[in-house]
Amino acid sequence: MPGNIRSVSFVVLVCLLFCSRLTSVGATPICTNAHAGCHVLSLSNLFDRVIQHSARMHGISNDLHSEFEQYFLPSRNQIGRVSRNCHTSTILTPNGKENAQKMAREELTEVILKLLVAWRDPLWHFHHSMAHYDDFNNFSSNKALEMSDMVHELRKGVEKVAEKMQVLGITSNTVNSLTSPEALLPSESAEWRLMKDYDLLYCFRRDSNKVQNYLKILKCRIVPEHGC
Amino acid sequence: MRLTDVNKAPVEPHITECISRNQETFRCWWSPGSFHNLSSPGALRVFYLKKVLPTSEWIECPEYIYSNRECFFDVNHTSIWVPYCLQLRSQNHTYFNEDDCFTVENIVRPDPPVSSNWTLLEISPSGLSYDVMVNWEPPPSADVEMGWMRIEYEIQYRERNTTNWEALEIQPHTQQTIYGLHIGEEYEVHIRCRMQAFTKFGEFSDSIFIQVTEIPSKESTFPLTLVLLFGIVGILIIIMLIVVSQQHRLTLILLPPVPAPKIKGIDPELLKKGKLDELNFILSGGGMGGLPTYSQDYYEGEPWVEFIEIVAEDADTGEKDNQGSDTQRLLSQGISHHMNISFPDDDSGRASCYNPDLPDQDTLMLMATLLPGQPEDREASFNVVERAPAPERGERPLVQTQTGGPQTWVNTDFYAQVSNVMPSGGVVLSPGQQLRVQESTLATEEKTQKKEKKHKWSEDTEDNKQKELQFQLLVVDPEGSGYTTESNAWRISPPPSSPMPGEGYQPIHPQPVETKPAATAEDNQSPYILPDSPQSQFFAPVADYTVVQEVDSQHSLLLNPPPCQSPPPCLPEHPLKAIPAMPVGYITPELLGNLSP
Repeated sequence: MPGNIRSVSFVVLVCLLFCSRLTSVGATPICTNAHAGCHVLSLSNLFDRVIQHSARMHGISNDLHSEFEQYFLPSRNQIGRVSRNCHTSTILTPNGKENAQKMAREELTEVILKLLVAWRDPLWHFHHSMAHYDDFNNFSSNKALEMSDMVHELRKGVEKVAEKMQVLGITSNTVNSLTSPEALLPSESAEWRLMKDYDLLYCFRRDSNKVQNYLKILKCRIVPEHGC
Repeated sequence: MRLTDVNKAPVEPHITECISRNQETFRCWWSPGSFHNLSSPGALRVFYLKKVLPTSEWIECPEYIYSNRECFFDVNHTSIWVPYCLQLRSQNHTYFNEDDCFTVENIVRPDPPVSSNWTLLEISPSGLSYDVMVNWEPPPSADVEMGWMRIEYEIQYRERNTTNWEALEIQPHTQQTIYGLHIGEEYEVHIRCRMQAFTKFGEFSDSIFIQVTEIPSKESTFPLTLVLLFGIVGILIIIMLIVVSQQHRLTLILLPPVPAPKIKGIDPELLKKGKLDELNFILSGGGMGGLPTYSQDYYEGEPWVEFIEIVAEDADTGEKDNQGSDTQRLLSQGISHHMNISFPDDDSGRASCYNPDLPDQDTLMLMATLLPGQPEDREASFNVVERAPAPERGERPLVQTQTGGPQTWVNTDFYAQVSNVMPSGGVVLSPGQQLRVQESTLATEEKTQKKEKKHKWSEDTEDNKQKELQFQLLVVDPEGSGYTTESNAWRISPPPSSPMPGEGYQPIHPQPVETKPAATAEDNQSPYILPDSPQSQFFAPVADYTVVQEVDSQHSLLLNPPPCQSPPPCLPEHPLKAIPAMPVGYITPELLGNLSP
């Protein structure tokens, strides 16, 4: 019996050690100074990751949207039927290349973050409402979940990028609203609850494309070395 | 683009297509349908609606290109991510289809890439196929540097004058490798692009042509590698030949044989478990006549084997006919008619002597055969090797009868040290130590006492056997001075309960048993009793090893008493002989001769 207890306690200890290791690895901080043992990511690297992430997110939203169309509304192009505007319409986003170019980096970053924050809750609810559609296969439901997760992660990634830019002096320190982007949400944020699922998908597809675009513009403006 | 059948119901004027090339501007084309009267420029007007705000209104096309029936939206009028709807208006009619709504990013078809060229990567060693790297530039209209458009490319190629295009994987880089093209064939390659995560491709680029003719050059390094390869193979073959031809010598050098126990004349197979009957048979003289015949055959070619040779001499067994065994002959008096046991000085024989796996009986037999003859005094009964430790009460009385018998008992252990080798071939064993003797003495005394009690413990363990065996070989010397105190008695773990099978030759003096029952009663823990100073015959301290005098018919060993170590305790009234004082544990040959009756 004492042998059993000992082995169990040993296993628990090892597990704790590993778990702490894992969690620490998962939350690798971005080192501002090149401390020893700190893995420093360059801004270009960060941008690349974030852009890849957003591209994938947009791809998934595209797939979901077309699948939805196939299943439920196979007949026609539904753009005209969008009865409401998307709930993110209140966020002022540059709608053209020139506008995007003219916009300051801080503003652009802020816009991106606003968009990402605005989509966190709706996507989460969307994922849950997916369960009600029996026809909608599990694959699509997984995509919905993935999408919801990705928004969350992308937001964190963009926040890190913004931090780094601030540290490097690329952006000024006026962007203190970044710390609480929730405050940027319009008060009538419950509008999204009234949207139908298809509309939600359509809106998110559009917004994910915006995010991807803006990120790429930012990157090519700030660190244009690789892949612009 | 909607396919309409002109012969069917009249087709309304409609927008045929809207395309953007660079996501900054776009253009739409319309068609009057079957309403030919509206085909003249200006008959139909295009209005668009930007669903930017809840309230928006229809605005007319900013730029008409009537020759193409095209409406062009320039940068100022183009907004991305904003739904546009277009409608056609004639003078009195409005033709609007909701399907004509779109967002600009969804209608983007990028221009084809430009400046594509190819370079030869490598030709296969067989000279039949080759790989090619194709490079190109992104379309100039797409603003890739700014990141406004993210484009992916698709290459397609085919052999000239065939119809099926081979498409490679879509990827976002401006170069790609085509593998496995055939020498001598001409290939046609073209590329097209689309926006990432969108579905609409642009036009194909202009084709480029690839052709590589045969290259007759041979590399100079080729024969060198061939030579090297053949050389290595040849060397390997030679080494293998050497190994095969010199196999025996190599095995001798690399894997020297391990010496195994070998007794001349005895097949080592017999020494394995389960075959000891045969061994006994051989050793006891069953195969006596044949022993020498084995020796040469088995180990002929093995120079490292030296044997313990058991040579049978003149079998003067007249007096010993009743025994009829070699052991008797061995142990009987007169070295002359005993067997010679020569101990060559090597390892080969000794291992077989020391074999704890052998049952007691057989080891004792071995022991017996190796010992010099002793005066046979078989009045004492030896019961060395009874198999089962079953209680044999019948033997008990034997013990008691031995008190008056000739005292040929010698205390010794199971293993005897060879102290000397006689010229006649006999072996002299040294007697055991005093301490051990006394311990065993006590133990044996205890055992005799146990006979009165019930035999509670009858554990048939190996340890029991061993201990019994030890005790069996001991000769109790019931002398007061020779006995240890209780502290010494503790050194032996509680002895096995069952009576010793070999009790026969334990000349346990019964007197101490009777005279001192109180001792045991006092101390329950100690199974040993302190015998009184008995009136037994000899009190000689016993060394570790002693001499086996004789082996009687029942294969019991008759042991010598140890020689006296110091004169005072030495009892000169040895029935057999008065052994003069001598160095510890050793008997000189003359003494040995004196010992025999």
